[in-house]
Amino acid sequence: MIKGCGINVISPFLVYFFSVLKCPDYTAPKAQVMNETNDNSNKADKALLPAGMSDVLPPEAAFEATISEQLMTQFGAFGFDRVKPPLLEFEQNLLRGPGLAMSEQTFRLMDPVSQRMMGLRADMTPQVSRIASTRLTNAPRPLRLSYAGQILRIKGTQLRAERQFGQVGVELIGANTPLADTEIILLATGALTALGIMNMSVDLCLPTLVPALCDDMDLSGEDRIALRDALDRKDAADLASLADTIGQDNVTIFAKLLAATGPAEDALASLDSLNLEGSAKIECGALLSIVSAISEQAPELPLTLDLIENRGWEYHTGVTFTFFTRGGRGELGTGGRYITSEQEHATGLTLFMDTVLRAIPKRPTVTRLFMPANTPKDTSRKLRDVGWVTVHGLEETSDDKAEARRLNCTHIYEHGGASPLAHMK
Amino acid sequence: MSSSTNDKLVLALPKGRILGEVMPLVRHAGIEPEAAFDDESSRQLRFTTNHDNIDIIRVRSFDVATFVAFGAAHIGVCGNDVLMEFDYPEIYAPLDMNIGHCRISVAEPAGMVGGDDPAKWSSIRVATKYPGITAKYFAARGVQAECIKLNGAMELAPSLGLCRRIVDLVSSGATMKANGLVEIEVLAEITSRLAINRAAWKTRSAEINGWIARFSDAVEAFRKAA
Repeated sequence: MIKGCGINVISPFLVYFFSVLKCPDYTAPKAQVMNETNDNSNKADKALLPAGMSDVLPPEAAFEATISEQLMTQFGAFGFDRVKPPLLEFEQNLLRGPGLAMSEQTFRLMDPVSQRMMGLRADMTPQVSRIASTRLTNAPRPLRLSYAGQILRIKGTQLRAERQFGQVGVELIGANTPLADTEIILLATGALTALGIMNMSVDLCLPTLVPALCDDMDLSGEDRIALRDALDRKDAADLASLADTIGQDNVTIFAKLLAATGPAEDALASLDSLNLEGSAKIECGALLSIVSAISEQAPELPLTLDLIENRGWEYHTGVTFTFFTRGGRGELGTGGRYITSEQEHATGLTLFMDTVLRAIPKRPTVTRLFMPANTPKDTSRKLRDVGWVTVHGLEETSDDKAEARRLNCTHIYEHGGASPLAHMK
Repeated sequence: MSSSTNDKLVLALPKGRILGEVMPLVRHAGIEPEAAFDDESSRQLRFTTNHDNIDIIRVRSFDVATFVAFGAAHIGVCGNDVLMEFDYPEIYAPLDMNIGHCRISVAEPAGMVGGDDPAKWSSIRVATKYPGITAKYFAARGVQAECIKLNGAMELAPSLGLCRRIVDLVSSGATMKANGLVEIEVLAEITSRLAINRAAWKTRSAEINGWIARFSDAVEAFRKAA
């Protein structure tokens, strides 16, 4: 009775686990569900996954792995060394510094061993940043690290229903020059272009500008919240209605920043016309250097500016960037400046594998060569050596071609060579 | 991914009452839909225009926001009641169209007014088409709102005992009055907004900015004329 064993093994754990959480009312509906699934009629129930989870099947699973490796190879070629943080960390460390923004998206579980709360990573940047500030604290700066892995989030978003997806990215830690940001941006566009993604554009934001302006204008906490609300939605009407509380002159400045959203050269011209002073002017300095460096090194890359965007940039402390592709849904990746928990200047980039894969126009054509049973093993080894994917028949059949088609092969080995199969029905 | 369907700019307009107010602005901005658009008997949902690269779709106001949020339409016109209800992070609303003026309010039966102290509420039951706005509004006051979602005829709910309060759009207030209800609090003033899909604005910014400017001119021209 394997099933029974399984239940017996699991239930003491459940009892233990829930007694830790002081939840004695919890009985074991789990056991009932497991018994029901014994019944074949419950196939659909077995197939059902939690919301936002999916099985990735052939050939997509292999394709995803290939693309992920191609990106990592490109990052490696620029001297970014790979690190591999664990899936789980102590919550306290995971949500420190740049990790704090992911607090609401992080699954927690109690570690029965240490009796401490653990978090399942919802973003890899905080982990890599932690590695840089702890184990690699003596490694020479600037430190270039890369990573690839799966992350898990409590909720999907409107555009990304997935709660688990792959992240591939880099962090450049210990450099506070616009050259570092430029390097990261062009590294990403280069790597994405190499995958065949076209019509890309980069949106640059400066999430520190609005707070700097608010400081210069001496706005109260309440006014800042109302302003943030209007600016997040780029709601010009809402913004105009704030004139009574924050002053018409100040509203005009924000309205101009809002209207400046768009192509970089237009946005910069309108930013210039504002003649910003004080800390707001300082914030813009790095942005200007990055824009001019990119326009020089990659003049054909469309750049847009958004000077008021804040959402998604909660832990960032300078210029941030988002990669879009025309016609694609959502962002290919995001990144930007932040400060590590050890107060080091850093910038980084994360590509989202789900959107990247959707944006790649062509899937490789898969060719599989069927080797009828009793073909000498040596023959198929030679064919694999020159790049064939071979699928061996395990028993003799009356119609090898039909068998080859049944197993989704595109070619069959006959008369001493590989011949293509006629198209399948 | 065919480039032709992807490259067309799709403008989503709301069916019904607001459409009559929107079309003069759309035409002033230089967009003229094909003849079928004005043909009441036509079953068509998507219409070409005098611009090769712009199509118009006509959907329910709530769906305008959804189409725009997912990037199925790039530009749309809908009330900020709808934008507030969904609060989609993928939608920007850079222009007030100055049409469709009304407000979203709490109302209760005339007999209840005065005998009720809102400061004592811990939870209330409300019939509304806007459960999101309602729950958020009352939560901000420390009151838990149990929302009963209705799609219309909210005014019937109190008299039939479904619940005592409703949250609904009010323009003249005549429907409320006719049903013995009194507007006790305004949650927000409503107008129609130009809604832009975030990714579209980022990837086709020159084009989209051009249309925002044209709609903005149209709104200004009508404001002056009024």
